[in-house]
Amino acid sequence: MDHRIPVAGRREKRFYTLFFTVLLAFFTVATLLTQYNPFQLLFQGEAFWTFLTQDFLPPTLKDPAGILSAILTTVALAVSATSCALVLGFVAAVFASPRTSIFPRGAKVLRALVTLVRNIPSLIWAFILFSALGIGTGVAFVALTISSFAFMTRTFIEVIDELADSSLEALTAAGANFPQKVAHGVVPNCLLDFIEWYLYCMELNIRSSTIVGMVGGGGIGLVLFTYIKSFNYPAAAGIILIIAALVIAVDRLMAYTRQKVLNEA
Amino acid sequence: MDQTILTVSQVVKTYPNGVHALQGVSFQVGRGEFVGVLGPSGSGKSTLIRSINRLIDITSGRILLGDQDIQSLQGRALRHARRRIGMIFQHYNLVERLSVMENLLHGTLGYLHTLPSLVGAYREEDKRRALELLREFELGDYAYHKASQLSGGQKQRVGIARAVMQAPDLLLCDEPISSLDPVTSENIMNLLYTMSQQRGIACIVNLHQVEFARRFATRIIGLNGGQVVYDGPASQVDDRVIAAIYRGARLPEREAS
Amino acid sequence: MEQISQQLAARQPQWGLGRAGVRRDGRIPLRAPGQGRAVRLFFGACALLSAASLLYLWVDWPKLLSRAPNIGRSFVKLFTFDFTGFSATLSAFGESVSMTVLATIYSALLGILFGALMCRSLVKNHIAIGALSAVFTFVRAVPSVVWVLLVLVCLGFGPATGIVGLSVHSIAFFAKAYAQSFDDVGGDVVEALTAAGANRLQIFFRGILPAALSSIVAWFSLRVETNFSESTVLGMVGAGGIGFVISSNIQNYRYGRAGVAIVLVFLFAYLVETGFSKMKRAYLMDH
Repeated sequence: MDHRIPVAGRREKRFYTLFFTVLLAFFTVATLLTQYNPFQLLFQGEAFWTFLTQDFLPPTLKDPAGILSAILTTVALAVSATSCALVLGFVAAVFASPRTSIFPRGAKVLRALVTLVRNIPSLIWAFILFSALGIGTGVAFVALTISSFAFMTRTFIEVIDELADSSLEALTAAGANFPQKVAHGVVPNCLLDFIEWYLYCMELNIRSSTIVGMVGGGGIGLVLFTYIKSFNYPAAAGIILIIAALVIAVDRLMAYTRQKVLNEA
Repeated sequence: MDQTILTVSQVVKTYPNGVHALQGVSFQVGRGEFVGVLGPSGSGKSTLIRSINRLIDITSGRILLGDQDIQSLQGRALRHARRRIGMIFQHYNLVERLSVMENLLHGTLGYLHTLPSLVGAYREEDKRRALELLREFELGDYAYHKASQLSGGQKQRVGIARAVMQAPDLLLCDEPISSLDPVTSENIMNLLYTMSQQRGIACIVNLHQVEFARRFATRIIGLNGGQVVYDGPASQVDDRVIAAIYRGARLPEREAS
Repeated sequence: MEQISQQLAARQPQWGLGRAGVRRDGRIPLRAPGQGRAVRLFFGACALLSAASLLYLWVDWPKLLSRAPNIGRSFVKLFTFDFTGFSATLSAFGESVSMTVLATIYSALLGILFGALMCRSLVKNHIAIGALSAVFTFVRAVPSVVWVLLVLVCLGFGPATGIVGLSVHSIAFFAKAYAQSFDDVGGDVVEALTAAGANRLQIFFRGILPAALSSIVAWFSLRVETNFSESTVLGMVGAGGIGFVISSNIQNYRYGRAGVAIVLVFLFAYLVETGFSKMKRAYLMDH
């Protein structure tokens, strides 16, 4: 009897073995390709530290009025884009979900389109749109809305498929038509989940809005980028702190809203 | 002679994956009849019931509601036909977030114009009917509770009430008591039977619980492998019949009544 | 009808229906009063803020709409694929994938370490946990791009910058996610093993880690998707890889080449997404 008594279940073991083998393979190839040696970093850490303390600190803040308007722009971009995406995404999801759709073939096309848009990072969309339409807050708004829309649609479809299924069956059996099914089947069942995703998307968009701003959308991201480009590191440090504060504040606000609104269920 | 409310004629349903769910099912249901459908899992009970209100499309055969061919109806005509058929589900299929009242009023959606129904502008007389129905079902105190706050038996009563609000000619019940305990199950079957008798609504009930079927149904249809193996009075359903239905044992020829 | 109203009124203290269960205009209500109020308030506030935001942005809609056909033209140009320099594009793509893989792996390992340190069932010093948590929150609040720019200063251009840049957010993400996973399994396991006489290292490696393994793998695969997307973004600001290829080609109006690169990005993202969900389903089926 020289078989060792196994401790874990065989199927589970097989899965994890496979997973880690694949991972190891990727790791080896990747390390060879990039020649990445993390231990080197430790040696360069010192230069980083000097740079940080000498050039970056202390953070300074100039032009508070300009900064305030930049912050408002960034926030306005995020809020408006998320809201538009919510509305458009809801409409699209209702027509694209296999449970509710009245155009089954159109629904498939719509879903494929949404998958396409979703798998391309939002900054790439921003680049394409900036080169086609010129830079500016309007174009940034469109870019953010497009990527948020794809996200929302896909998520809403999943929510509808999961939550509204049984109600939709009952309403169909009772003789309701499409708008009635949406209003009385989809909306009441999925509303809270929709709100949850809306808040989450808002958090994501505050961050995206900053980044898109950097490449030409305006707002606080652009301010930061300008300072960095002009080597004004102390001012940049100040802006970084402001951005961090903004993001944290928004996250807190979303958490508070979640508690207040979603707990009425 | 009772008016025939439903005629099912040579219905065949084959699913795309090759499963022959129904293989030539025929029967008729008269006004106010209470029919129990028995059969093992996979016998086609669920498919049959959902074909009647066209939640599932059949492969061939005819289903007539009164004298209307369900298969030929589209759009608004189909919805009008569905109004006349109420459906009750094993998992109640309520909107948990809404109040009991709102769930009941969903039964009237087929009768309302789209625009007012979307904003919940139901007719006052329907609301009154709903409240009275709730009182009759002993759910009067729960009119404004959220559906999620009710017990299983109460939820099913709401489901039945919702169907009754449609003022249907026919009630389809897909395993209405499978999720309920024995005492509650008895209450629900009683309620269904009472509704059926009082309001002259024909009932087709899919059941696993043979005893309940024998007690409440006046007529039993036995399905096995997509075919009707028995169609006759509940009183004549003895152990041999049960064996035929559930284990496919052979049964001497009987006339369908 | 009066009977019902009376009954409803009698119940009123229990669920506060107010008077007689009938609205003032004589119409019967549909739901208990106050239900759904929070939601309506929320939507009202959102609508207001969104309208205000759009006004504040003062977008020149007519000009935007007039330029809309340009989008179509750009797309056509993107889809007229230009395969010149494809080998360079391919190697840049390989670089992005490698950056993603390495960053995620190293970050996951560090994340397990930090997650263990932040696990409330294991570590008694909750103040230290709070402090560490705050640090990570700050780290995640600053956009990845900023971190990359900082790293750029000392590491220069190249894959190392991208890897470190990706790792910053990833470590913070894993630390929080894994701490959460460890806490979820933590309590009971720690109790049982402590009672059996194990020390903390043993509890962690033989108890908590194996129990949390499935969520470790789950969070890992989720982060791979995010990191690949981020690596393209970071590439655009100088970390190299396929992101840089896309942005430089677009800026130099070489749409055909950019289109090829974009398709590569899409294919990879799509394959990873479907691959993981298939794996998840197969794995779940097994159990």
